[in-house]
Amino acid sequence: MMNHRPSGFANPWFQFVLNIIGVVVYELLLKAGAAATADPTKAWSWIGVNALASPLTWLAIVVIIVDLVIWLYILKYIPLSIAFPLSRIVDVLVPISCWLVLRETISPLRWGGIALVIIGLVIVARPAAELEERL
Amino acid sequence: MRMAAIVFILLWLVTFVAGQLLFKRAMDVSSAMGFRSRRTLSILGAGIAVMTISFCLNLGLLQRFDLSYLYPFQGSSIIVITLLAALILKERLTPRLIIGTLLITAGVVLVSMS
Repeated sequence: MMNHRPSGFANPWFQFVLNIIGVVVYELLLKAGAAATADPTKAWSWIGVNALASPLTWLAIVVIIVDLVIWLYILKYIPLSIAFPLSRIVDVLVPISCWLVLRETISPLRWGGIALVIIGLVIVARPAAELEERL
Repeated sequence: MRMAAIVFILLWLVTFVAGQLLFKRAMDVSSAMGFRSRRTLSILGAGIAVMTISFCLNLGLLQRFDLSYLYPFQGSSIIVITLLAALILKERLTPRLIIGTLLITAGVVLVSMS
């Protein structure tokens, strides 16, 4: 069931970009929070509750909740089978930003993987564009 | 330890995929019946509950393994979600969409392996 697509700030594709930025931010916050509190000897640590001792984890949770609301809004307009694969653009953005900002090196094999993801995204984006035309 | 890792990674995958499907279903129902309808809210509530479990499992896994080790599993969720969206939510799958999704999945796995 498709709804009429709102424009401007309410445009689902604009919200999609906001959602992606949110994912990159909370992934980094979560890793930092989890690493700061890691203690694999604790019995309950498999369910990760001790990561809640870090304020970074709580900041990540706030970003996740905002991002969830945005994601639900996106799902109202875009099929999951298109929105979810496209959302994995973060898997390209994270290594590329590490390369650009942190001057980390990327192996040829990893560049190959990044290229595959980009080709896949372009291919998936076509059905998404057709979806727009039908609206 | 290895066995526990596999069990927890699988549990994470199942809860994550189920959560996404419940979210989409809730939003489809909200389009038909309104966001405040009991049906929308109960499906959304179930989705949030399952996603919370998934989130905690993810934290536990992140404390034990590098993100790069966990990424191939996260990558595999892409193709699983797309296929189940077609099967359960009756979304239209085109060959183009399947090929694109497979390439993204393969690319994510390759990025994390290297």
